[in-house]
Amino acid sequence: MNADVFLVGSGQTRFGEWWDKSLPALIEEAVSAAITDAGITALDIDAIVIGNMIGQQISGQGQLGAMTSALLPHRPPALRVEAACASGSVAVHTACALLESKRAETVLVVGAEKMTDAENTAIASALMGAGDSERDAPAGLTFPGIFGLIASRYMHDYGLTREELSLVSSRHHEHAKANPYAQFRSSVSPESVSSSAPVADPLRLLDCSPISDGAAAIILSRTRKSPLRLAASQLATDALSLAERPTITSFAATRDAFCRACEEAEIDRKEIAHLELHDCFSIAALINLEDMQFADPGQGIGIYRDGLQEMSVNLSGGLKGCGHPVGATGVKQIRDLAKQLKASKQRFGAAHNFGGAGATCCVHILEHACEP
Amino acid sequence: MITPPSLHRHLRSWHERMERGTISAVTTVRHPPAGFPDEPRIIGLITLDGGSSVIGRIAGISPRIGDRVVPRMSMERVNEQKLRAYDVVYEVAAPAALQEDPFVFEGYILALTGPSGVGKSTVSKVLSSALSGIVTRVPILTTREPKDGDDGEYLYVTREEFIRLEDAGALAASTRIPSVSEDRRYGYRTEDICKIWNEGRVPLVVTEMHLLQGLARSFGRRSILSCGLLPPGTSRRAMLSQLLHRLRTRGRDSEQSIADRVRNASSDLDFFSHRKELFDHLLVNDDIDAVIATLKGHVLRTQEDTR
Repeated sequence: MNADVFLVGSGQTRFGEWWDKSLPALIEEAVSAAITDAGITALDIDAIVIGNMIGQQISGQGQLGAMTSALLPHRPPALRVEAACASGSVAVHTACALLESKRAETVLVVGAEKMTDAENTAIASALMGAGDSERDAPAGLTFPGIFGLIASRYMHDYGLTREELSLVSSRHHEHAKANPYAQFRSSVSPESVSSSAPVADPLRLLDCSPISDGAAAIILSRTRKSPLRLAASQLATDALSLAERPTITSFAATRDAFCRACEEAEIDRKEIAHLELHDCFSIAALINLEDMQFADPGQGIGIYRDGLQEMSVNLSGGLKGCGHPVGATGVKQIRDLAKQLKASKQRFGAAHNFGGAGATCCVHILEHACEP
Repeated sequence: MITPPSLHRHLRSWHERMERGTISAVTTVRHPPAGFPDEPRIIGLITLDGGSSVIGRIAGISPRIGDRVVPRMSMERVNEQKLRAYDVVYEVAAPAALQEDPFVFEGYILALTGPSGVGKSTVSKVLSSALSGIVTRVPILTTREPKDGDDGEYLYVTREEFIRLEDAGALAASTRIPSVSEDRRYGYRTEDICKIWNEGRVPLVVTEMHLLQGLARSFGRRSILSCGLLPPGTSRRAMLSQLLHRLRTRGRDSEQSIADRVRNASSDLDFFSHRKELFDHLLVNDDIDAVIATLKGHVLRTQEDTR
């Protein structure tokens, strides 16, 4: 990082099915909560970055930058960024660029998505925008289908069983019980994951993160100090289509972004106390742990079977437990890390957020100075 | 989103996908996107024999990873304007060998993998005589012409015969080496490997990335003692120039063929880092005696373990 970027406040709506709240209403709720939390006034914000994926297709709403800016009295400069499910973290990355380049002193970062307004086929088609429209879509593939292909290959190569895979969603649901902002706050047994309806074999309904509405906001500043500092913000990409990759059981963008983030923060991966990773589908959680080298290839399930003493994984409940309003997730992960670091008095947390099948990956490392 | 012009672009490139291949991942999409028949749709990631991959529908009941597929045109859907959209679909030709239970442990295969020119054949020859009581070299099926340097390790077949064996499911692994000058195919017959196991010996194969993956699909990864051979050199550039040097001095290949081989070697080097899990041991071939001694150690230890 070319400047100290502090996290001074955050807020979010509870994720869920908010039929009575519009996209701007969700954004306003998260922004107000973040401003209150930061103890600043709206006038202190001098730029806004909002991450959103499908507002245009589902709500017929573009220009989210201007729309969000109009919520504040002085209408600061604002822009919207998109990188499928990584839109939120890419918004944070963009905000860091504004701060590091001294374009802005205090930036409001918002991630927001309104998904329950449309019927399932429309949502499925909008989400396929994260894949390769010329190579993947014509065969009739859906996003769960893409991860179904990945899971089939993973199980074939490493002998992972259906019963083992079910531990992943079950664990995330268990964590979500303690999170008041999570969409699902109930236990789900591994058996019920295994016996839920098939969606894209071998994946079943409870392997998939849900369709959710929600918004999250954080305020980043280089002039207002806080014990929480962004130690790294790294973005990496890969080919959109699975057909163009040498392997589908590992994501190069995750490996690159995470490795560079650790270098930027000058830490070893073992120093990370809390990890929020992108579990859009259960199989992705295992691949991510392996790509970040917390487990050897094929051994990611060990962390769910035996647990990890030194590091928590998706303590918030992850995408499965919290819900996954696509553009909001990357921002919400950083807010969750901040809460976890404050509670545990630990020093480092990492947020891993990817878009599509790992075609864009953004990793942030948050550092908590325990005695400011 | 599939629009009429995008569909047209997709169909215009049908000939690129009209090729035989092997299923490398498969899923059944229970809720296909709008516009497709509302019934479970089997979709696969297919590795075509030419080396590229495509995503396409698979026609057939419960296809599995490793199955051979052949392409055909099929009417896939009728759009709102009643236009019929055709596309390439893949039909299962032959299920992969020994697929009934991939975890039956028949014995193990010793595989030497490495880029062209790293010295696989030499190591294989020396090792098979050093361990003549244990290992037997598996004959390599090839469609290429016999050459002077060949030393009885090849079985020469025509391209037609090769494809017939492949489609009949008789090959445990096969590959097509991308080459500008000719269409060269290599493979191993399942029966040759099983025969060596039946004699109580260890089959020794020389592979590259597709053959190694094919063997892992056919017999299971656990059945392979997989050793990678790297050229000496601290950087990728140094390794490639070392290979170029060796290919030139052995004088077996034309300049055109050497250019092809070096190009393929570059992706072979990537394979070592991308698919680490496919290798048990990586060795640098800078001293043949040391490499042979190390490999001998690995084989003898594995013999102990499996006994």
